[in-house]
Amino acid sequence: MDLEANRALLVAALARIAAGDRAALQTVYRLTSAKLFGVVLRILGERSEAEDVLQEVYLTVWRKAGAFDATRASPMTWLIAIARNRAIDRLRAGRIGRRMEPIDAATDVADAAPGAQRVLEDSQTNARLHGCLDSLAAHERAALRGAFFDGNTYEQLAQRMTVPLGTMKSWVRRAMIKLKVCLEP
Amino acid sequence: MSVTADHSGLPEDELFAAEVALGVLAGPERSAAERRMAREPTFAALVAAWEERLSPWAAEIGEVAPPPQVWEKITAALPQERGRSASLWNSLVFWRVFAVASALAAACLAIVIYLGAARPGEPLVATIESGGQRSFVATVDATRGTIAVVPAAFAGDPARVPELWLIPPGGKPLPVGLLSADKPVVIAIPAPLAGQAKSGATFAVSLEPPGGSPTGAPTGPVIGAGKLTVL
Repeated sequence: MDLEANRALLVAALARIAAGDRAALQTVYRLTSAKLFGVVLRILGERSEAEDVLQEVYLTVWRKAGAFDATRASPMTWLIAIARNRAIDRLRAGRIGRRMEPIDAATDVADAAPGAQRVLEDSQTNARLHGCLDSLAAHERAALRGAFFDGNTYEQLAQRMTVPLGTMKSWVRRAMIKLKVCLEP
Repeated sequence: MSVTADHSGLPEDELFAAEVALGVLAGPERSAAERRMAREPTFAALVAAWEERLSPWAAEIGEVAPPPQVWEKITAALPQERGRSASLWNSLVFWRVFAVASALAAACLAIVIYLGAARPGEPLVATIESGGQRSFVATVDATRGTIAVVPAAFAGDPARVPELWLIPPGGKPLPVGLLSADKPVVIAIPAPLAGQAKSGATFAVSLEPPGGSPTGAPTGPVIGAGKLTVL
């Protein structure tokens, strides 16, 4: 199946979930759980916590499917946002250790080769974002990476990169502004 | 920190939305953001736009198949079927309420028949219970010569069937018939019992092997009993 077919399948399934269809939730789970488990596991770093959070993610999908608007968001973005938010909620609840080893911007590398494209991801959009991320300064990219992949707060990022909190906030904000400008159509 | 907003060219809301989508906020700031998203659709749309910009980054994260018990836990945690019309027909609770209501309606009908009948019969009811746990309600319609028994809160046992017994005052239990755990049963009063199903007699229910007690007397545990009284 290609990207568009999968997207249409997910959009239809989310609409059926909103109407109380359990089979539709299973469809969404089948198509997306490996991706979302990867996301949650990456942020939490601990399997049993990640399994617990993944369960919360799909129960949230069940409750909030009616709020998904296909004209405004792609289903994968919506699902990934729920997964990240749930995982970050769990991190902020403070029961598990966060990733806190020092970040060295100079040696910042991607987790995995982004070459492996999946059916749920649009390779063109990916290439565009990566192009824009590459245009950022190394310390800016490293800070965004710590927030996106490790679920770090401003305070934690400042600590990991040994800069004052105010500096970290302006790095991140400036990086986000650059990203937005770069991604503008 | 709003100091960066002045040279950014982006409104503070736009930057705040970026921080929300990135997930760098914590504590009261994070809760405040959630409240704003719930209240202000325009702010929620700004956050959604940032999520759309950032989500392709997740392509870097490899897929990891979750263990099967995650899906099992999800299905177990879902509320009972939201398709109400379908579930109503499968709901034992509904059928029990329906059964009790039907029994009451039958009893009322019996009164009407009694009041209007040229040949008076006594409408009698027995609530079969044990320790306050009501398992069946039995209604005797002497005019028709039938006993209607509806399950109230009886948990079925696939290996054994509930059997109804009539115990005359000072007498031994006499077999009446087999009951159902999940639907009302109407039993024609057996000829030997005619005249015995009257006020003061007791109905009891025991659990018996499929087909009923092989001996003509209760062989399994008695799950409840109740005296027949005039309605």
